Amino acid sequence: MILGVALGGRAPVAVAVRDGAFAGPADPRAARAARAACVAVDLEPAGAAPVAVIRVGGPCPPVLGPLAGWPDGSGVATIVRGGHSLTGRPLAPLDTDAVRAFAAGCGLTDFAVTATGSPVLADHELAVAAVVSAEVPGARITLSYEFGRPGLREREGDAIRNAALGPAAGRLADEVAARLPGVPLYFARSGSGLVSEHYFRRYPLACLRGAAASHARGLAALGEAAGVPGPVAAAYGATLAVPEAQVERIVQARGRAELDRVLQDVRDEVLTRVVSAGAAPGSAAIAETIVNPLSYLPDGLYRVLVTARGAAP
Amino acid sequence: MTAVGPRELERFAAGSRLFATGAADSSYALAHDWARAVIGDGVPVRQASDLDPGALCVAVTLAGSTTALGEQLPRGDEPERAVRALERRLGTRAAAVVALNLAAENALIPLIAAAALGVPLIDGDGTGRVFPLVEQTTYTLGGISAAPLALAGASGELVLLETAPDRVEDLLRPVVLSLGGWAVAACYPMAARDLARVVVPGTVSLLLRAGTPGAPRSAAAPYGVRTLCRGRILAVEGSTGHGGELALPSLPSSILVQESDGLRRLIRLEAHNEIVLALADGAAVAMAPDQICMIAATGGLVVDVDKAAPGMEVEVMVVKAAPVWHTQEGLALGGLRAFGIPL
Repeated sequence: MILGVALGGRAPVAVAVRDGAFAGPADPRAARAARAACVAVDLEPAGAAPVAVIRVGGPCPPVLGPLAGWPDGSGVATIVRGGHSLTGRPLAPLDTDAVRAFAAGCGLTDFAVTATGSPVLADHELAVAAVVSAEVPGARITLSYEFGRPGLREREGDAIRNAALGPAAGRLADEVAARLPGVPLYFARSGSGLVSEHYFRRYPLACLRGAAASHARGLAALGEAAGVPGPVAAAYGATLAVPEAQVERIVQARGRAELDRVLQDVRDEVLTRVVSAGAAPGSAAIAETIVNPLSYLPDGLYRVLVTARGAAP
Repeated sequence: MTAVGPRELERFAAGSRLFATGAADSSYALAHDWARAVIGDGVPVRQASDLDPGALCVAVTLAGSTTALGEQLPRGDEPERAVRALERRLGTRAAAVVALNLAAENALIPLIAAAALGVPLIDGDGTGRVFPLVEQTTYTLGGISAAPLALAGASGELVLLETAPDRVEDLLRPVVLSLGGWAVAACYPMAARDLARVVVPGTVSLLLRAGTPGAPRSAAAPYGVRTLCRGRILAVEGSTGHGGELALPSLPSSILVQESDGLRRLIRLEAHNEIVLALADGAAVAMAPDQICMIAATGGLVVDVDKAAPGMEVEVMVVKAAPVWHTQEGLALGGLRAFGIPL
């Protein structure tokens, strides 16, 4: 038996699913015997924590700076020297002293790190993470390259939102785990798919609209005319998804053979990631590969988006 | 006198996207925010013929990749530095800035340059549509050289190119790549009397009108626009590589659209960075130098050639190019042959 759980109403709603079929409300005493629980929840930006924002790159007009235009209380930000161009060339050595000084003085523990060029080369984001974790014990660090998408400001926004959701997502996962001790937990992603509890704690942004996505999926499966209460449809919808992960990168390749090789590297990375998102290792498989050459640049730079799915154990 | 102030900027920016291809969301949003922060009370918009005939005018454009601009942010002084470098080379101050074309970022960056320099923006541009090469302009057709051309990069680099007009693009590409993939170019220095002769006039005012909420999209086409068909993309062959079916980007691609109603014709769009030829049931119905673009049925944005995918509902539109593009010289520079199709 698999449990579907919808959070966000006055009380959690749980449904049981046997052999993929909807089996009605779950008996609370039987819930602890579930093989797995799939949780549908929309995360509230209201509970967001202030974030220490580190951007690695050059100076820019203030209006394009980190946290420009964000509400008061979103956190504190700095720009440190470093980063890479889209062709992978270092723009400047990483200013680790500036990273250390900011980390020590910011007074926060949730960090969002975004380096110029990290969809091509994430070295400086990883180096910043090493400095921050040495300086701030217990720091939670989101690296923007994990979200992949090109466009520094958009990727930085994703990293900040993810870091801000971290503490609330951790508390939420603690609460569900306390109610269902020993039951493996999964959380519904915003679009399609599920992720493991461990993945949810690290990348809660992936599940920002997990209840809305599950609700739509549940309604489609049950039939809209059935008059099913919303939370029941969402709880059922969560159980219909499978572990899923994506990796988006910009890669450089001269010629077909090199492109095939770098694509294989990206595929290996997303397979590792979907296992981390809860897929049974043997079941992980590439679902989609999209490769687009970047326009108005010489041949050899591509945007790559790879999706992998697998079965929950 | 017209000016682009905070309110007009929203209309200008919206108008600049109506037929723009290759406009990645990130770089457009960045240029929009940047422009909003620097235009102050407003940048005056002047006709080239209203300036002192001998006054120096300079074209300003983004050179390179919008994806690169969205990733490696500007320092903020690039437009001004590029124009100042040309001024130093020529020994004259620029009296006005003019756009190379008015598609998305390329409409906003000249505006930012004009604001930074404290000079007016000319009401017009050098294409009336968008072409991929810096030399594909009505300025070239009028005998004005793109060089000397100054490039300012985001790491403080400054490069001055001085060469024969037909070598500019050759030299530009590798330099832009080594600057990180984008730069701001100041080029086509010319006297106002020459600009008045070669500019596609009135296109800034046109976009201000076309970007007004509720205005029809056709208002952004100075020489007319027609709908070729509404339909669904059946197949994309060649450069896109969806689903791992890869081909190298230098190859041209074809997009096959099935008309949804009427004759239910099959429309084949031949693309090479942009769409250059449309065939309906095998007969040529539109071609460069007219601009052919696909507008998404949902959202109303232009569908880039490299993002087209089977199943998308699109409206295929043809924007008529300025008359000068239909002269013998215009066809040689911006017609089908310029895109490698000897039809």
